[in-house]
Amino acid sequence: MTWQAFFVLTALADGPRHGYGIVREVAELSQGKVQLKIGSLYGLLDRLSSDRLIEPDRDEPHDGRLRRYYRLTRDGWGALEQEADLRAATAHVARAKLSLPRPELGLPRPDLGFPRPETAG
Amino acid sequence: MSGDLDHMAGDLELRYRRALRLLPRYYRDHWEEDMVSAFLESSLTGDPDEDEFILEFSRPSWPELASVAALAVRLYLGGTGAPRRYLAWGQAVRRAVLAVLLLRTVLVLGSFVFLAWTHHLLGWLPASPAPVASVVTSPLVRGPLPAPLNLTLATSGGAIETAPWYALGYAYIVVYVALVLGRYRTAKLFAVLAAGPDLVYLLQLWLADHQPQQIGPWVGWILFSLVPVLALAAFHRDAPPVARRPWLLALPAGFILVTVPSLALEVYGHARWVPGYPGLGCILVAVACLVQAARARSRRTDDSGAWSLALILLAAAFGIMRIAFLAGQLHDSFLRTGGVIQLVVLAAAVALVALDGARAQGAMPPPRVGYPSA
Repeated sequence: MTWQAFFVLTALADGPRHGYGIVREVAELSQGKVQLKIGSLYGLLDRLSSDRLIEPDRDEPHDGRLRRYYRLTRDGWGALEQEADLRAATAHVARAKLSLPRPELGLPRPDLGFPRPETAG
Repeated sequence: MSGDLDHMAGDLELRYRRALRLLPRYYRDHWEEDMVSAFLESSLTGDPDEDEFILEFSRPSWPELASVAALAVRLYLGGTGAPRRYLAWGQAVRRAVLAVLLLRTVLVLGSFVFLAWTHHLLGWLPASPAPVASVVTSPLVRGPLPAPLNLTLATSGGAIETAPWYALGYAYIVVYVALVLGRYRTAKLFAVLAAGPDLVYLLQLWLADHQPQQIGPWVGWILFSLVPVLALAAFHRDAPPVARRPWLLALPAGFILVTVPSLALEVYGHARWVPGYPGLGCILVAVACLVQAARARSRRTDDSGAWSLALILLAAAFGIMRIAFLAGQLHDSFLRTGGVIQLVVLAAAVALVALDGARAQGAMPPPRVGYPSA
């Protein structure tokens, strides 16, 4: 799963959103690092809907236009859960490795806020 | 953002809708209104005066247009799950690109054999006359070979020094293997590198004012180097994986099929009969069309139609190249006659698969499950 797909599914995890709502939520989730263009967003929505990870929820009028909302499907929920577990586990391992002493790099040991793994010596 | 979009929609919307015309009709039917709505919302600031100005006078940004263009390429050159017509075109382009890269790889590998022969490393073959016009790293780069990687290209107007980086042409081997193995990014990166030597060679000739009237090599570079690099866009995330075994086996088979006869003709003094790459392409595509026509007759499948479309694309490319090169060979009756015969044979052969190719586009299937209703 790409970062963009992961962010889009995450944006839909707390409820249905319309196209621009997804763009805004993804920008916020990624702290501004992922700015989806509309062509890219709809390419992603097309792919995710053909993989049955998302589906249309409802249409709502807004400023004289219809906003189409999308929601996660059961498969989408499962895929996001699996991906989130994988990324969390990877991040945890990365954090643990970063906590090991690396005197050759001259780096101080950061306070990571969780117990450090036991190291020999 | 806000504002009464209903009343304020202006040139910005029209311009964005114009850009969306790049997308296939079936896709627009499902997504256009939604895309326009999201685009307009993302363009506005919330200040009514500023928004009115934006809607009336601004244009979609280049990155926005690029995202639509990229989406269009992915949809027209469809992958798994795409409507039949677009999947057929996607497969046809991917196979045509693979075929061109296969030929380029075979020619590059063949150049090793020619180098070995001209440097008397193949003792069991008759010695090569010197200097020998041989293919070195690229079919466009021909000339005497003082050293494998440091060439001096002798032309009627004098010598043109070339550099060791002509060896970048060997990158076609990496491009082809990476593509077959599904390493699309690697293939795209090396394809850009590999296309460089031919362009530099042509620019050198042009700047040195050698053969400025010939358009053949330029058309050849566009169709044989540049277009395949651009068409690598067809190898996107949705593209079905390349069938590894047949395409990998095609490499030694192509090597034997192309290099052995070429070397035999050179060795036994008939170098004039060795076709250049446009002629070689015409011959190979014509043979492939005959095989495909027989195959399509015996068992018709959707996949067969994509092969026919691929051959039609290849026939068009090599036909144009052949004509462009022929324009510079009209003074030579041998080359002229040979070129015309190649064109006639190619046209006759491609006619045999035209119907099968047309059928491949067939009726559009219903939209995929999961599409919102239009």
